[in-house]
Amino acid sequence: MSVLARHLNILDHTLSSLWRRRLKNLSVLLVFAGVIFLIASFQLVTRALTETAEQALVAAPEITIQKMSAGRQVAVPLAYSEKLSGIFGIRRVVPRVWGYYFDEVSGANYTVLGLERDRMPASGQLDLVLDQGESPAPGRSGAALIGRSVQQGLERKGGSLLSLFRPDLSMVSFTVAGVFKEETDILTNDLIVLDIDDARDLFLVPEDVATDLCVYVANQREVPTIAKKIADALPDTRVVTRAQIRKTYQVVFGWRSGFASVCLLTALAAFVIFAWDKASGLSPEERREISILKLLGWETRDILAIRLWEGILVAGLAFVLGCTLAYIHVAFFGASLFRPVMVGWSVISPSLRLAPTVQLSQFLLIFCFSVLPYMAATVIPAWSCASVPAESALGGV
Amino acid sequence: MLIELEHVTKVYNQGLANEVTALREVSLRIDDNSMVCLRGASGSGKSTLLSIIGCVFQPTSGRVAIAGKQLSRLPDRFLTLHRRRYIGFIFQNFNILPALSVEENIMLPLVPLGMRPMVMREKAAVLMERFGISHRRRFPAGQISGGELQRTAIARALVNDPPLILADEPTAHLDSRLSHEFMDFMADLKAAGKTIVITSHDALVTEHKAVDRVIDIRDGRIHVS
Repeated sequence: MSVLARHLNILDHTLSSLWRRRLKNLSVLLVFAGVIFLIASFQLVTRALTETAEQALVAAPEITIQKMSAGRQVAVPLAYSEKLSGIFGIRRVVPRVWGYYFDEVSGANYTVLGLERDRMPASGQLDLVLDQGESPAPGRSGAALIGRSVQQGLERKGGSLLSLFRPDLSMVSFTVAGVFKEETDILTNDLIVLDIDDARDLFLVPEDVATDLCVYVANQREVPTIAKKIADALPDTRVVTRAQIRKTYQVVFGWRSGFASVCLLTALAAFVIFAWDKASGLSPEERREISILKLLGWETRDILAIRLWEGILVAGLAFVLGCTLAYIHVAFFGASLFRPVMVGWSVISPSLRLAPTVQLSQFLLIFCFSVLPYMAATVIPAWSCASVPAESALGGV
Repeated sequence: MLIELEHVTKVYNQGLANEVTALREVSLRIDDNSMVCLRGASGSGKSTLLSIIGCVFQPTSGRVAIAGKQLSRLPDRFLTLHRRRYIGFIFQNFNILPALSVEENIMLPLVPLGMRPMVMREKAAVLMERFGISHRRRFPAGQISGGELQRTAIARALVNDPPLILADEPTAHLDSRLSHEFMDFMADLKAAGKTIVITSHDALVTEHKAVDRVIDIRDGRIHVS
């Protein structure tokens, strides 16, 4: 007797058994797939957001210095950079001018960033995050790099020039030199990058101040030490490292995802308890069927095999269905169900598009927390099912 | 297939307040290729005796040997394998699974044997043809007539070609025409070399010409007629 042939026969019997109880099994399958869909969606969204943030931070300076006054950020004097000249390990200090620009026509709030790119050591990396065009030559006036939502706004208006208004309502126009990649949407979606002098001109920022100072460090390992020295040298400033920004993103997304996952795992636990209850409580019809099968020469292991196959088919199908739907939900619908929980209006542009990355370990984790408990909940109580005495199918004493 | 029982006793719930002695010191010999009827009132112990012969459970004490093989103390797994190979059951109410098709019901004893599906279908087809239920092959068993149900049950008992057929009150819920038909089938099986044990208190069964011997059971003891 071939073990494979025996299992194929039992699988065939299981399939017809599942089909006979298709309504009940379909409802279990859909509920289970729904729970897996929710958990997988959160996992994928968290991963996509952290990956996106990670990618976008590649071109960010190692350290950013912002001047604080009464708990608010104010313009930082360029003279502060001279105070840092004594700190060993600093490669360069580059001023940056940035601010927010509200476009009344589209109703969008853009972030305008003015860079002194000829002094930025990593300015060449800017081209790596561009989808179209290329970054203009450093110091070139009148050219802008824009995010995808800015480009969309421009296309709606039907123009090729980006026209912005100064505070005195006089207009200044820029040519679009390049558009940022979708993968960096988390930071660049609403971004307009200009030359620093253009940004000063747009926001009417004086020559002797900047919004913040970017510090580039020769040795990455020295960043925390240098940041501490800067904080000591400039006590009225806030010193932020790239690692801190990265950690902030991870904490924010991780906390939100973790909170949601706990809620969803509770739902999963409830489902598993329900499955356990269903599997351990045998209906008279099921008891009769098992006792008939045992009388006909089915062994306990054959009946357990039916339960095992039922579990594998229902849980496996629910897992594949749930994970596939989760991927579609995140990749093509931008995780619209969880967007308010995971992203938040005040932090990131609502039109952010997520590009989920599929990691085997993630799906393995979901598998371990969903399919395995379900299998255990259905197969372990099957011992009691399989031990139904065969004689109960016979008549009286 | 020769069946020998010596001093077989079966006690249910032994040592408990609801202890019941179903069989007391039963000794019995059923010859190969014979048809024996176990007759007795409800609760007399005839179904228990049939279950012990059918290796469904073990006696509390005594010895059971079938075809010379001592079965009384074998583990449950071996009894199942023995049952699978040597015994065909026909139950009271026939115990056909109503949601399965006629063909699926007949093939049930073959499923755990690891036989190829085509072979299983061929075996079932031969029996369905023999018992005139081929036209009901794909019908759910819950939708066929009592007579067809009966023939499906017999076909299922014969599908793995067992030498011993055990039937538990097979005519209890049949009208006289179907009861006659059933006994005629049993007579054919006996003629084909099978050993048949039937529990019944239906005169139509006990007085059938093919029955070689009627064993009366009362209060768990045998009274040979």
